[in-house]
Amino acid sequence: MSRFIARRLLLLPFVALGVTALIFSLLQLLTPAMRASLYITDPKQLNALPDIIRKYHLDQPVYVQYWEWLRQVLHGDLGWSETAREPVLAAIRGYFPATFELALYSFVCILVLGIWLGTLSAVQKDKIVDHVSRSTSISGASLPTFVWGLVLLMVFYGHFGWFPPGRIGLDADLFVRSPQFHPYTGLLTIDALLNGQWWLLWDALRHLVLPVATLTYFITATLVRITRSSMLETLRADYVRTAEAKGLPRDVVVDKHARRNALIPVITLASLLFVGLLSGVVITETVFNWPGIGRWGVTASQQLDIPAVTGFALIFAGMLVLGNLCADVLYAVVDPRIRLQ
Amino acid sequence: MAQRGLAVLAIAVMAVLAYGTGARGAAESVRNPDTLIILTYGDPQSLDPAYAYDTASEGVIWPGIYETLITYDGSVLSRYVPRLATMVPTLQNGLISKDGLTYTFPIRQGVHFHDGTVMTPEDVRYSMLRFMLQDRDGGPSWLLLTPLLGTDSTRTKGAVTVQYADAAKAVTVEGQNVVFHLKHPYAAFLSILAAWSFVLPEKWAAAHGDWDGTAGTWAKYNNPKLQDRYEFDHTNGTGPFVLQTWDRQAKEVILVRNDHYWRAPAKLGRVVIRTVTEFPARQLQLQRGDADAIAVDRPDQSKVTGMAGVTVQDGYPSLVIQVFHFNQKIDAAGNPDVGSGKLDGNGIPPDFFSDVHVRRGFAYAFDYGTFLRDGYRGKALQPNGPIIQGLLGYDASLPKYTFDKQKAIAEFKEAWGGKLWDTGFHFTETYNTGNAVRQIGAQIVKDDVESLNPKFHIDIRNIQFSSFLQLTVQHKGTLYALGWAVDYPDPDDFAQPFLASNGQYPKQNGFSDPHVDQLVKQAAQVADPAKRAEIYHELTKFAYDNVLAIYAAQPTNFVVMRSWVHGWYYNAVLPPLANVGFDFYTMSKQ
Repeated sequence: MSRFIARRLLLLPFVALGVTALIFSLLQLLTPAMRASLYITDPKQLNALPDIIRKYHLDQPVYVQYWEWLRQVLHGDLGWSETAREPVLAAIRGYFPATFELALYSFVCILVLGIWLGTLSAVQKDKIVDHVSRSTSISGASLPTFVWGLVLLMVFYGHFGWFPPGRIGLDADLFVRSPQFHPYTGLLTIDALLNGQWWLLWDALRHLVLPVATLTYFITATLVRITRSSMLETLRADYVRTAEAKGLPRDVVVDKHARRNALIPVITLASLLFVGLLSGVVITETVFNWPGIGRWGVTASQQLDIPAVTGFALIFAGMLVLGNLCADVLYAVVDPRIRLQ
Repeated sequence: MAQRGLAVLAIAVMAVLAYGTGARGAAESVRNPDTLIILTYGDPQSLDPAYAYDTASEGVIWPGIYETLITYDGSVLSRYVPRLATMVPTLQNGLISKDGLTYTFPIRQGVHFHDGTVMTPEDVRYSMLRFMLQDRDGGPSWLLLTPLLGTDSTRTKGAVTVQYADAAKAVTVEGQNVVFHLKHPYAAFLSILAAWSFVLPEKWAAAHGDWDGTAGTWAKYNNPKLQDRYEFDHTNGTGPFVLQTWDRQAKEVILVRNDHYWRAPAKLGRVVIRTVTEFPARQLQLQRGDADAIAVDRPDQSKVTGMAGVTVQDGYPSLVIQVFHFNQKIDAAGNPDVGSGKLDGNGIPPDFFSDVHVRRGFAYAFDYGTFLRDGYRGKALQPNGPIIQGLLGYDASLPKYTFDKQKAIAEFKEAWGGKLWDTGFHFTETYNTGNAVRQIGAQIVKDDVESLNPKFHIDIRNIQFSSFLQLTVQHKGTLYALGWAVDYPDPDDFAQPFLASNGQYPKQNGFSDPHVDQLVKQAAQVADPAKRAEIYHELTKFAYDNVLAIYAAQPTNFVVMRSWVHGWYYNAVLPPLANVGFDFYTMSKQ
């Protein structure tokens, strides 16, 4: 197992290098003048375009440019974001915890609900439970996120006043900005616990409910379908029939024999879903006024804030690579055949 | 089919809920009684009083954080009350000299800055000089430079041309008084100082890397970049509120009460100004009482009218103009909004709008009636130039453009030597995110112009307010929607920014005409109102003939607040944060 993980980890730098090469080659679609303009922050510099091109080696062969750019990236210098009004790395550091927190809670809900409903649908195939589970999840995927988000907001905030938009309430906001509060992780729920502030935890959770519900309802459908079809296939397998034939209870057959094997495609999908969530869920963040990385990413791309978009792409690609690595490791955990290969 | 059914169901549910929720909240008690929460869609660009020149920034710093020497008497723009000065200069009290060239302000004693230091006349002088000499591109420095130094910029073609000695002589300290020495008599001078004489401490600024107030160093601090100054995100005024935080990621500004304020502490303990670009989120927070005042564009007004516990006060005359600007000298470097950058049907050349036939074509193609109806529900009028109703020199009988497709076609056929009609064009027009009115206007421009010729293509792009301002200052705008809210109630405040070569828009848009400059200068200095009006008529006609922009609307104003908010008054000069401006000091929640 450890050899398997080590092999995967050894491959990681090469994959990362490939990713940077890909992003850099996309930047080459811009002319040197356009790339030089990325470094302009003042109209006075317009007359100095040739100097900027020279300074940043934009007139050199591609490999020289790539090396210079990579060196800059490796030093953690992803440039200056005009939309965030701070260095790209600082902006990512600032926005990411909000997105990570939202993604984490959503992912747990999606995973639990998706696997449970998918399994239930497969076991109860063509029965009422199956129909209800499938139609509910499909309706979630069919409704645009903003419609579902707005409906939830109108009912549970506008009507009942239970779950407000934003990441945190006014009192909590003021407390978080006070010296009494220590931000250990940037995740408000965790930090609230570490600070021993239960009311803050409650406030943060209240604000998480609607965006998490929106994402869960929207995304679970895919997981339900994959789990269901994978389970159906596994339930038809010989070893499952054997297990049933030898008189094992149905629950044991489903839980111990079928589900574990049915999880392989689910893991693939789940890792991609999680990375997708981490890259920001723009519409959900916008509807609920959630200060996450997705909203910033979209604003940056709308405003052609190329350093921000490039930095965002790099980080996202990095997460995708890591997500795939996690999926590979999980395959190995779930399926011994992969370890042996 | 099932999806369509669900969508219909969802819309029905939303409609029922929207209707149902509108009647709630009547008996609710005051939420956050100590805190005023304002939701808007524009984010501040800078908190430096010598840099900030947009409503989102100005609304944060004035009159809450920084104070002026004198200010307007509530809603009345023609009457002043002392603030950091102890008296308002007049000819009668002798504080204005008979020749109208010297204004003396006795400076109030015992006023403390937020850091606890005492304000001195030297601080006042430093702040005025800093305001003039910092002079960033597209900034507010011209407001004091014009009356005091007789020029609207410290630079000519990028090179510093103003002498420090002249500036130093223009503002002097005599004992406890600060004396302003004008270059020419300037009728609107008090009105400018009432809104643009912010005071910050000299030592504090210098200690944080700003200009030290000496003759030898000032040029180094001229025309800074946005984040160059400590004052970009730090403040130290004398006002009733202190900046607690400006969180640019959460898009939130929090001000807290200054308990040592020299008048008496404000009633409100805290003011929160939050950027929420989506209207439904602003609407729901107002409805629940989690927001006290929100920005509402006219098209959305009906959604808050009749909402329980919410007051909509309408019909305030505004000194605001909504404009679509033509940039005659676009910076095409790295600018995708110009497409190919050539007149080949796939883009526009940088000087595309320098052809008056192009500009006139756009002006005739714009459906003003539809814009006033859809954008403002009819509560606006079409101006005939930059000098708007309510200002000296406005004349409703002067000509203005009307929506006329035939004339638009004729103009476009003449444009670029007759070539444009055959080649066509493709570019992107821009406006700021969240501004529904400008979005409607941009769509009207697109629809109307594209309907004239299938080879005409316009895309639309919205940009976060602060970045949008940067883009226009950097000459990257093509055709863009950006209005003007009054700095001081005088036609000069509209003539200079819209017509003078160093004015904000001509500078951004590459327009310059020495004759117009002369007229603008003359109009500002002439004392006779009839003569001034005559010059402004001439300038209005010039703006019509040369179509420097599409002067699209002068709206009436309205404010949307929770009924528990008290003490608000309308002042047309206060920078509009959420439709209107706010003097937090007089406000409370009960």
